[in-house]
Amino acid sequence: MAGSSLIEARAVDLGYGREVVLRGLDLVVERGDFVGILGPNGAGKTTLFRGLLGLVEPLGGRIERGDTRLGYVPQESTFDAAWPVSALEVVALGDRRQGLFGRRARREKALEQLARVGLTERARQRFTSLSGGQRQRVLIARALMAEPDALFLDEPTSGVDLPSQERILRAVTELNADGGPAVLLVAHQLELVARAAQRFLWVAEGRASEVTADDLPGLFHPTPRAAGGEVSHA
Amino acid sequence: MPSPAVLAELQLGELPLSLVWSLFGLSILATLAAGFVAPLVGSFLLTRRTGFLGIVLPQFAAAGVAFGYLVLPFWTEHLGHLLDPVAHGDEAHLALGYHLLWAGLFTALGLALVALSSRRRDGTDTGMMAAAFAIASALTVLFAHGSPVGDIYVHGLLRGEILAIDEHELEILTGTLALVALGVVLGARHLTRVGIDPDSARVLGDRPLLWELFLALLVGATVSVSVMTVGPIVLFGLLVIPPLVARAFARSMTSFLVLASLLGGLSAAGGVWTSFTFDWPLGPSVVVAAALLLIPALPRLFGRGR
Repeated sequence: MAGSSLIEARAVDLGYGREVVLRGLDLVVERGDFVGILGPNGAGKTTLFRGLLGLVEPLGGRIERGDTRLGYVPQESTFDAAWPVSALEVVALGDRRQGLFGRRARREKALEQLARVGLTERARQRFTSLSGGQRQRVLIARALMAEPDALFLDEPTSGVDLPSQERILRAVTELNADGGPAVLLVAHQLELVARAAQRFLWVAEGRASEVTADDLPGLFHPTPRAAGGEVSHA
Repeated sequence: MPSPAVLAELQLGELPLSLVWSLFGLSILATLAAGFVAPLVGSFLLTRRTGFLGIVLPQFAAAGVAFGYLVLPFWTEHLGHLLDPVAHGDEAHLALGYHLLWAGLFTALGLALVALSSRRRDGTDTGMMAAAFAIASALTVLFAHGSPVGDIYVHGLLRGEILAIDEHELEILTGTLALVALGVVLGARHLTRVGIDPDSARVLGDRPLLWELFLALLVGATVSVSVMTVGPIVLFGLLVIPPLVARAFARSMTSFLVLASLLGGLSAAGGVWTSFTFDWPLGPSVVVAAALLLIPALPRLFGRGR
């Protein structure tokens, strides 16, 4: 893996059992990257994410992560609400360190991460009592606890109001711009992603292709010409 | 000390306290120990949406104890050299190790059934658990019926009668429960992480399957050791009700576990007091005491948002 590369995927097939969902993925994520991942529902964006995170083993090809530390922000709706955890506890769960010791340091670090997403005053509040946007920011703070080199966000703006979407995206953009982690972000809102990301991955019909910002409107609202394969698959 | 004839006429609540303590002191301590620790394990069952295990597994363990009595003649004749089922010095009771063996085996059987059923989320899982409870309940009665020696013991166990235990049994129970409590304290962070969001836990380096097994071990140890010292009914109540009440009021996982444990201890103490005051069986008394704690929690349990 090259020096600045965090993740390298070469000719990777991803799927479940024998069913291939995504074929021939080639992707190199480097420090400072902000990759927006877009595509229709059910196209395989989540499978791509899970493959890069190591949650799904490739059916073919190889994915190298080296010593890259990964941070994962799932959709807040996948977070099981049956657990009566406070916002601070959720964030502290993101710490990689094991065991009972260092609880005070972990707590202070968790408070710092909550401050980074502007939620210090909600630290003691029960996670389920927060708004959708606040919950999503708490999950971002949790991912930051792991001091990730690459931050994966799975539709962090889905189901939250517009001001919250803006706030979430601003927080992520600032993290990325400050020499922080590379960001891989799955989202449906083209305008939001187009503003923040530098690179774009379009996932459709079992393929993931790197495209430019100019290609995106045509892909989202395809004319017969664009839909016919204007964008080549990697 | 009153004469035996006078004692026989007295209600339990009318006995001198010193006599009650000398007769039942160890059982009371066992109930209190289970009261503080069982809800810790039950809290994780509840949050993992497997609270029904608090009912099913103790019943499996009880079936195991009854099965031990059924096969006692065979065991004594052929396998007695491996594990002597008769307690030395008190032949009225079977040795704890023998009870533990069967309670543990049947609890493990119940846990295996749960693991198999949990793969199906279309209602098969809960249906299987309901069926397993019905079958385990029936088998407990039938096994006991097949063993004249065990029938009285198992009948008392199922009715939730206070069970006389000796110091050795109390040591085993409290020692095991202390280890379970330590396991919960040390593992709570990882059990929570894996339970809330297994994918994120894996990204952080946790191995969910190992933690699932760890929890199964804690549950299995608690159930199999407690069931023949405090009985399944006490366990039904302690594993399920205190965590349910605690969750309604808790604002953090830490406060949830602490509150569940305290409410469990309070239920056990209240149950012991009620049992001796009104001469009720201990098991149902503990459950009734725990159920009373549900009342203030009802508005929160059924209300919108918490």
